Amino acid sequence: MFKSLTPTKLSGSDPMKRGLLILVFGLIAAAAAYGCIYLTCTASVRNMQQGDKPELAWLKAEFNLNDAEFKRVSELHVAYLPQCAEMCRQIDAQNLRLKQLLAATNRVTSEIEAAITESSRLRSECQRQMLEHFYEVSRTMPPEQGRRYLAWVQDKTFLSDYGMKQ
Amino acid sequence: MKTDEPDNHDDALRKVLKEWRTDAALPPRFQENVWQRIELMHASAAPSIWAAVAHWIGTMLPRPAMTVAYVAVLLVVGATVGWTQAHQTNTRVNSELGARYVQELDPYQAVRQ
Repeated sequence: MFKSLTPTKLSGSDPMKRGLLILVFGLIAAAAAYGCIYLTCTASVRNMQQGDKPELAWLKAEFNLNDAEFKRVSELHVAYLPQCAEMCRQIDAQNLRLKQLLAATNRVTSEIEAAITESSRLRSECQRQMLEHFYEVSRTMPPEQGRRYLAWVQDKTFLSDYGMKQ
Repeated sequence: MKTDEPDNHDDALRKVLKEWRTDAALPPRFQENVWQRIELMHASAAPSIWAAVAHWIGTMLPRPAMTVAYVAVLLVVGATVGWTQAHQTNTRVNSELGARYVQELDPYQAVRQ
């Protein structure tokens, strides 16, 4: 006579299976909630990043610009970029010249003095052009946003430490 | 033909056990000592954390109220972590884009090629 070798169902195995299913379902629900909230809340910044000019898209969102204001600001921005590029070129050339002069001697020569003066002039000119652009942009914005823009951009440019940390 | 079925073994074993005799004397208080050791083992064996978790999953979690509470808590946790990380991402990206705007306009902060 053979005894039946069929495994008998363990008592309590069904609640355990159900418990495991609930456990997994809860974890999936948590992951889904995380994904939904994260993707929804970051949708606007992801759209900005994927755009053609993310920094201008940011400006529009940050200072609540309408389409007309944004169009005008974008035009001013595009018009200013060649000026900025030219200033960059002059500053780079002047920095290179100053570097060569400094490497060639161990005293402050008249040429070095002239190069330092020229560097200062370039910085002043650069700041004047930037300031003109900032004022022009701020005038395009609603008054309150324009004031906020000026305060922010001046803090980031004129009042920034240019790498000078205490 | 099978020769090693469990029943055959059981029968053989029973037969041997019935015939088996020993003259060796048990140590004094043998039975009492065995029970003491068994009780000591039971007392010292604390239930493991996994056993406790398995017990909770098998008995507590399937209860409807507990299921609802468990899923609700995980939903809230997932949503809260998602919102917190989204907030951090937004702050970081906004800061980066603001810096890029300034770098485009300020030659002294511009990223040179």
